[in-house]
Amino acid sequence: MTDTPDYKAESPAREAWRMFRRNVPALVGMVILAFIVLATLYGTFFYSGDPYDVVWAPHEAPGVTPEYPLGTDYLGRDIMAGMLTGGGPTLAVGAAAAAITMVIGIALGSLAGFYGGWIDNLLMRITEFFQVLPALLFAMVLVTLFEPSLWTIAIAIGVVSWPQTARLTRAEFLRIKELEYVTAARAIGARNMRIMWKVILPNAMPPLIVSATLTIGIAILFEAGLSFLGLGDPNVMSWGLMIGANRDYILDAWWPVTFPGLAIFFTVFAVSLIGDGLNDAFNPKLRER
Amino acid sequence: MSSSYILRRVGYGLILMLGVVVLNFLLIRLAPGDPAVVIAGEMGGASDEMLASIREEYGLNKPVITQLGIYVGNVLQGDLGKSFFFDQPVSSLIGQRIGATILLVITAQILSILLGVFLGVIAARKPNGVMSGFVSVFATIGYAVPVFWTGIMLIILFASVLPIFPVEGMQSVRLRSAGGLTWALDVAHHLVLPAFTLAIIYLAQYARLSRASMLEVLGSDYIRTARAKGAAEKTVLFKHALRNAALPILTVAGLQFGNLISGALLVETVFNWPGMGRLAFDSILRRDYPTIMGVLFFASAMVVVANILTDISYRWADPRLRGKS
Amino acid sequence: MTALLDINDLRVTFNTRYGQVTALDGVSLHVNAGETLGVVGESGCGKSITALATMGLIPSPPGRIAGGSIRLDGEELVGARPSRLRAMRGADIAMIFQEPMTSLNPVFTVGDQIAEAIMLHQKVSHDQALKDAVALLDRVGIPSPKARVHDYPHQLSGGMRQRVMIAMAVSCRPKVLIADEPTTALDVTVQAQIFDLLNEIQRDFGAAIVLITHDMGAISEMADRVAVMYAGRIIEEARADDVLDFPQHPYARGLIDCIPALGREDHALKEIPGVVPPLHLLGAGCAFAERCEHANERCRREKPLLVNHDHHPAACHAVEEGRI
Ligand SMILES: Nc1ncnc2c1ncn2[C@@H]1O[C@H](COP(=O)(O)OP(=O)(O)O)[C@@H](O)[C@H]1O
Ligand code: SF4
Ligand SMILES: [Mg+2]
Repeated sequence: MTDTPDYKAESPAREAWRMFRRNVPALVGMVILAFIVLATLYGTFFYSGDPYDVVWAPHEAPGVTPEYPLGTDYLGRDIMAGMLTGGGPTLAVGAAAAAITMVIGIALGSLAGFYGGWIDNLLMRITEFFQVLPALLFAMVLVTLFEPSLWTIAIAIGVVSWPQTARLTRAEFLRIKELEYVTAARAIGARNMRIMWKVILPNAMPPLIVSATLTIGIAILFEAGLSFLGLGDPNVMSWGLMIGANRDYILDAWWPVTFPGLAIFFTVFAVSLIGDGLNDAFNPKLRER
Repeated sequence: MSSSYILRRVGYGLILMLGVVVLNFLLIRLAPGDPAVVIAGEMGGASDEMLASIREEYGLNKPVITQLGIYVGNVLQGDLGKSFFFDQPVSSLIGQRIGATILLVITAQILSILLGVFLGVIAARKPNGVMSGFVSVFATIGYAVPVFWTGIMLIILFASVLPIFPVEGMQSVRLRSAGGLTWALDVAHHLVLPAFTLAIIYLAQYARLSRASMLEVLGSDYIRTARAKGAAEKTVLFKHALRNAALPILTVAGLQFGNLISGALLVETVFNWPGMGRLAFDSILRRDYPTIMGVLFFASAMVVVANILTDISYRWADPRLRGKS
Repeated sequence: MTALLDINDLRVTFNTRYGQVTALDGVSLHVNAGETLGVVGESGCGKSITALATMGLIPSPPGRIAGGSIRLDGEELVGARPSRLRAMRGADIAMIFQEPMTSLNPVFTVGDQIAEAIMLHQKVSHDQALKDAVALLDRVGIPSPKARVHDYPHQLSGGMRQRVMIAMAVSCRPKVLIADEPTTALDVTVQAQIFDLLNEIQRDFGAAIVLITHDMGAISEMADRVAVMYAGRIIEEARADDVLDFPQHPYARGLIDCIPALGREDHALKEIPGVVPPLHLLGAGCAFAERCEHANERCRREKPLLVNHDHHPAACHAVEEGRI
């Protein structure tokens, strides 16, 4: 490390990336997440099997039969096959739900923060209203009313999760719109839309990126909770569903619930390590504490 | 604190609740299919008389705006409809269970705040110490564990390895008719695992938050003033610093309440805790919409009440806000 | 005669990301009973650290007292037990800070905060302590003290808050009162009132005062003696008149030149060119050399010591050699 960092040569994004690269927990998170994503995408090339097929005696313990390294569940279904195929829906729904959350949250939050006045007032009242509804319960209701599929689940999670993002976006817009370069953009006659999306939003990105990362983690937990309750897409095997299906037999066999739970945990853990790392990278001051 | 502020706050809460009622109404109408069939639920083919009586009660033959009026009017009179599956009014179904949920949620909230703040304060004393590292790791782990899975793991642990806590229900069968203290102790015994399961996530978050908040406060000038008076370290920490550090914690505690209730739904299902969460789960499996909507209404009401209480206590705790509107 | 407060060869170091730096490099000071010592110097030269070290309040980590001695009434404070230091803080030696806006705890009434200071050192009931607090508020010139005692800090102006701080500091009649730039954050009109109050307090309570300030006018009115600090060292020390009329060290001369002529509100103050060097860049020679028109080879090589010259002690080779 040099004593006098060369400020002029480095863009904020590059500096953040340099900080991020040195953050060991965040790199560990990247490695874990990469492993999980690769196993989900390509695992079935090396280990094929239908997670719904009954292939062996029920409740075979892990490590006993080499063909079924993680054992079998209460019906005699292969847990390893479930682990490899069950990640897909969880990750996909998590990512899609986070994207929906961010789109709704950023759209409403930026309008509220930028225009202020009655628009802000109205949008914030709506936000408060949505924060009153317990998110999981509301999502449960939505999913049951509109037939569970991966899309309805992702949309339901997005619909219940956006208020936090909206508040964060609004706060950032309120802060940034007072800064000099925004005034300058106004002075040269830039239109509102341009100021919002081309001037303010890019500068609001750092906290929003951190928030998006954490939102993915929360969405994954959400999907797992819904699937656990049996409210996921019944035709798609997922980690949460595996736990839910086996929960009446946990005292007979620990492994059918433990492995999928660990998979969910490590996924969210990895995502949140990355989120913390990004947060530190964007706010180098905080690290001095 | 001005009572007009409290009144205004309560009034706003009532408006939010009215919003929930309207939302419930809209959801049932937006769902695909005949509302009468939706309300009747999956009864294995509701009879024509039953559908007719539902249409009558909800005024489903009248214009939509009249239907809304009827629905809101019913709710105002405490009538949230009837569960055709349980064959009981929804309000009495919920009335039998809401106490258990409140007990679970409040216990978990208190447990997580007390333990979390305690850990956070200890960690803040040595920002680079072992305890600080532990709090950071613990917070990240606590955030990432699915709450229902924590519950299952605890059940496995306490049912087979260390059977000192009951893992199911709220009362022992043999004590069902016991009264007074015996009953209370039995419930408390059953409460340990569910409450702890629910508390763990938030405990971790409160620990991290109070550590950060304490660190910030401990660097402020008035802490130096307290030391300059000759106050003991304990007084500085727990009187001067914590009173200030508690303000952001209080805010988050209020915001988290809705999530706590969401978590309680899962925990109740895992531990067979006889609260609203179980009811929601059972009624969702049966598509018993009046009951589901009733649960959504009461759960939202709990959040509204918690938010009002948080706002009021925040104003009480921060003298800079007292007397302002 | 031994001084009431006697600081000898005090060294304070901080661990920073540039390694260990020496914030105080052999500071020696003394204050006699009933006397006022002025301490002057630019920002960052170590005035507050000297005050905090005396109070036993150096933030640690990263700081620590690396050597020297601080004696109050003959009792050694460096290395004293924490409980003993706590008993003396607020009772025998008290301090007023630069920032009245943030130095009071926002969630307690000013009355409670003064009462706490009293009850920490005297066996009195809370009621009695509150009554004493009212009397103290009255003494420091706060109108309707009976009502103000229940106010929270945010309800008071900066000047009023500083009066509260003074009331709190003198509540146990300390022998030494350290005032660290007590008026820097206040309006000019309020500044004079606070200095007047400190003067009265000293008359009534008989405390010795260490007055840290930028305000040379206040020094000339209040201080009996003056110590000039630069980069963690005392570079000149004498009776106030001597320093003001015959400054020796080039830095002290610069400071005195910066005083606007009496009676003239001259805002275009002269300034000493350059800035105090960061601690981690201090070399072997005189810390002022970069900014000094009299600097020569010896100055860059060898640190000047504080020794007596024609008029009074100053730490400068040029003065010693009679070049200026
Ligand atoms: N917590 C700290 N860590 C590192 N250096 C410090 C710390 N506090 C003070 N210093 C250093 O000590 C020196 C003296 O500071 P201070 O006594 O506050 O100056 P002033 O004369 O303006 O009151 C400064 O150069 C500052 O950089
Ligand atoms: S010692 Fe040398 S550099 Fe330092 S003040 Fe004196 S003349 Fe200037
Ligand atoms: Mg200072």
